[in-house]
Amino acid sequence: MSWTQEKIRNFCIIAHIDHGKSTLADRLLQMTGTVDMRNLKEQTLDTMDIERERGITIKAVSVQMRYTAEDGQEYLLHLIDTPGHVDFSYEVSRSLAACEGALLLVDAAQGVQAQTLANAYKAVDQSLEIIPVINKVDLASADVDGARRQIEEVIGLDASDAILTSAKTGLGAREVLEAIVKRVPHPKGHPDDPLRALIYDAKYNTYRGVIVYVRVVDGMMKAGQRVMMMSTGTKYEITEVGIFTPEMQPKPELGTGEVGYLICNIKTLVDTKVGDTVTDAVNPAPKPLPGYEEVKPVVFCGMYPAVTTDYNELRDALDKLKLNDASFEYKADSSDALGLGFRLGFLGLLHMEIIQERLEREFDLTIVATMPNVAYRVTKSNGDIIVIEKASQMPDQAEIDQVEEPYIEADILCPTEYVSAVIELCKKKRGQHVNVTYIDARRCMVVYHIPLAEIVIDFYDKLKSYTRGYGSLDYRLIGYRAGELVKLDILLNDEPVDALSTIVHRDNAQYVGRALAQKLRKLIPRQQFEVAIQAAINRRIIVRETVKAVRKNVTAKCYGGDITRKRKLLEKQKEGKKRMKQVGTVEVPQEAFMALLKVNEESER
Amino acid sequence: MMYNPIMFAVYIHIPFCRTRCAYCDFVSDAIAGGVPDEYVAAVCREMSAFEGPDTAGSVYFGGGTPSLLTPAQVARMLATARRRFCLDAAEITLEANPDDLSRAKLEAWRDAGVNRLSIGVQSFDDDVLRYLGRRHNAAAAQRACEWVAESFENWSLDLIFGAHPVDRWAATLEQARALAPPHVSAYGLTYEAGTPFEQRSADAVDDEAWLALYQQTEEALPGYDHYEISNYAMPGRASRHNLVYWHNEAYAGFGTAAYSFVAGVRARNLLRTRDYLERPGVKAESLVLTEAEVRVETLIQHFRLREGLSTEAYARRFGRRIEDDFGTALDSLKARGLLAEANGRLFPTREGFCLNNEIGLALVGS
Repeated sequence: MSWTQEKIRNFCIIAHIDHGKSTLADRLLQMTGTVDMRNLKEQTLDTMDIERERGITIKAVSVQMRYTAEDGQEYLLHLIDTPGHVDFSYEVSRSLAACEGALLLVDAAQGVQAQTLANAYKAVDQSLEIIPVINKVDLASADVDGARRQIEEVIGLDASDAILTSAKTGLGAREVLEAIVKRVPHPKGHPDDPLRALIYDAKYNTYRGVIVYVRVVDGMMKAGQRVMMMSTGTKYEITEVGIFTPEMQPKPELGTGEVGYLICNIKTLVDTKVGDTVTDAVNPAPKPLPGYEEVKPVVFCGMYPAVTTDYNELRDALDKLKLNDASFEYKADSSDALGLGFRLGFLGLLHMEIIQERLEREFDLTIVATMPNVAYRVTKSNGDIIVIEKASQMPDQAEIDQVEEPYIEADILCPTEYVSAVIELCKKKRGQHVNVTYIDARRCMVVYHIPLAEIVIDFYDKLKSYTRGYGSLDYRLIGYRAGELVKLDILLNDEPVDALSTIVHRDNAQYVGRALAQKLRKLIPRQQFEVAIQAAINRRIIVRETVKAVRKNVTAKCYGGDITRKRKLLEKQKEGKKRMKQVGTVEVPQEAFMALLKVNEESER
Repeated sequence: MMYNPIMFAVYIHIPFCRTRCAYCDFVSDAIAGGVPDEYVAAVCREMSAFEGPDTAGSVYFGGGTPSLLTPAQVARMLATARRRFCLDAAEITLEANPDDLSRAKLEAWRDAGVNRLSIGVQSFDDDVLRYLGRRHNAAAAQRACEWVAESFENWSLDLIFGAHPVDRWAATLEQARALAPPHVSAYGLTYEAGTPFEQRSADAVDDEAWLALYQQTEEALPGYDHYEISNYAMPGRASRHNLVYWHNEAYAGFGTAAYSFVAGVRARNLLRTRDYLERPGVKAESLVLTEAEVRVETLIQHFRLREGLSTEAYARRFGRRIEDDFGTALDSLKARGLLAEANGRLFPTREGFCLNNEIGLALVGS
């Protein structure tokens, strides 16, 4: 049976981490009989280990529910779970575009957070019907009126009819379902037009290839149909369409307004672009759906195998990861210091950490990663403009006319008592003041323009510590701005180490150079010879630190059983040495390549 | 072809002390009186039941404090040892604390069969002895050494450096040299984890000071062969017992917590004396070493010795070429100046003595 659009509701849940999104989703699944109580524990919308550990959603998950409303009619509800991190804001916007409505879930005790705000604004921009839901109202610390006021004042939504829930106890879940039916508009596509379906996510499955998550906007799709990706013109034949329950369940067809998946022999995720439009290959739509963008990495770092012979394994691992995460980029690269490896581009810092963690966890590789950096735009004296993705590509100072770096606009939401601390942090991070708005008696929105380079290092952690965990951040790129940027080089025994070079603001260069050299002195173990660590700006040495040579490393007594104990100890040390990189004659531990991060941490103390 | 060890050794552990020295990490219990006969009997039982080689070139009473043993107890254990092993021409050593000694006791031990005495002087400086928590003073140590020299042709004097300022170490060395001991062990003080001294590790001298003390020791003992990192001997007086360890040869250890290395198995007796008394010879741990592990350990141990290892001896022992097993590591150690090669022998340089652990580190896992 095919559903008429009048009986379909497509919605998502906008919430901050820990505000109860998964629990509420579980309640809805249970109440609609989609998943019974017995299976609920195993059911979770967050499927990756890393997601569960960090309490965030990286990949969207969808589920179809059938709900018989108080009006006696049966409705088809599609919940589209959205990624919840700023690194993945484009994916969020595409998930929102697949919906007509959104539940705005706010923790009654914690109130509206910046991430929620940013996504709520996106939902408003896309004209979604927003249903405020105030959760955890049963907590002693719940402040329902405060939460309601914030929704009204901060987001500008009428919160008088906000639904009060406790996802934990199930309170209010029925009201939520009723509100979805009554308030979220049904899809208004054109069943008779040529097929147009929005790709809002895609996943790679080892056995089935790419699974494309779609929302059918116009027309319908079914197995056997020839389709075309409108951004590339590539054509495929659909082998299967279906819905999520949340497991994949094949269906003969997906009608107008429905949400589901399609499988069509796509081998890699690279060929499936989130935001793209799927249309009929024989009878294509004249225009794609609006809003498609090519997502570009903004943060870059080098990754090298700790053991040189693992290069091929690292390449294979990256190839495999790329199959299920098309949004990171990598290309072969080499470093004088670290040998053969790769240069990777990510959507953000979290994205970078995820990839590195997956390489180590899923592929059992030991990776030496270099400090993350942004892409700089360099105008040379001869007028050429080049984009550099690592410090060692920086031309000689004499050839440079101007260096520009990407800036973001940061929206920081924090309790009023932390405003001055937040402003201090933003200033420290070379931020330019835009404005400070007092949202209510207790909370403030601080807006700053800050170089992205400062954000990728440790801004978020800093913000948390400056605001005792209460500050939240959202940001978007606002373009390039010129700055007094210089390359800071590190030399070990007079040899520059490319992987330790970094681009810093001229005003900070002296300080960072000193702090970095000192940090390296502590990180680089003593070796048989003296190691000189120097920091240089434009080839001028600004500081020198020395790691003294080991003159004595001997066990005075070695009798009886000592030798086996000693051998085991040496073997353990040797294992530790494997995590070192031989740079020229100097053995450098992996942490050294991240030393800049530590420099920033320590400057706060 | 089966490898025939040059020499097999017997170690007897006496895990009792009057007081525990704060820097010591050997297994020992503090007791008020002498060594219980019950313990001596357990060691004899263990020795009689031992399965393995029948000829031993050395018996070593170590501790703990073996000088707490009465001559009768020593005689009893040596009699049991002679019933179990052929001990013809064996070196029989007893470790002694200066304050346990008397002329009569020394002679009685000698008559019981002990032919080498190792005396734990550590220092001839009262301040240093107090710092180390030793019971004897410098005068008692001097007197004890004189008695030892009267009773034993073959004896050794133990010293510890690192707790002395440079000039006072010179005085201790001078006093030691004047006694003309046939053998001197001079250990750098180690602040072992798990000992009360661990807390004092801030007192440890830095590398430069350590090297100065080490060099001072070498220079103060001309005429001695600096044959191992911490050991010096007059010609022919190297410790035959300890050479068994450094050659990674087989030995049997009897008594609480004693290690054995027999037929490629490194094993250790029960760690507490009351457990040992109930079940002498039962192992707390027992590790069958792979041949590769034995090869690495053999190299590491030989490179504690000035003479090092002959490539031919390696080939004879393992039926393999040392270059095939360790070529890369050995080349790099030679390049780093830690090992040298001459006349078919690989041996540590002076720097290789001081950086001996670096040699071991290069050899493991290669």
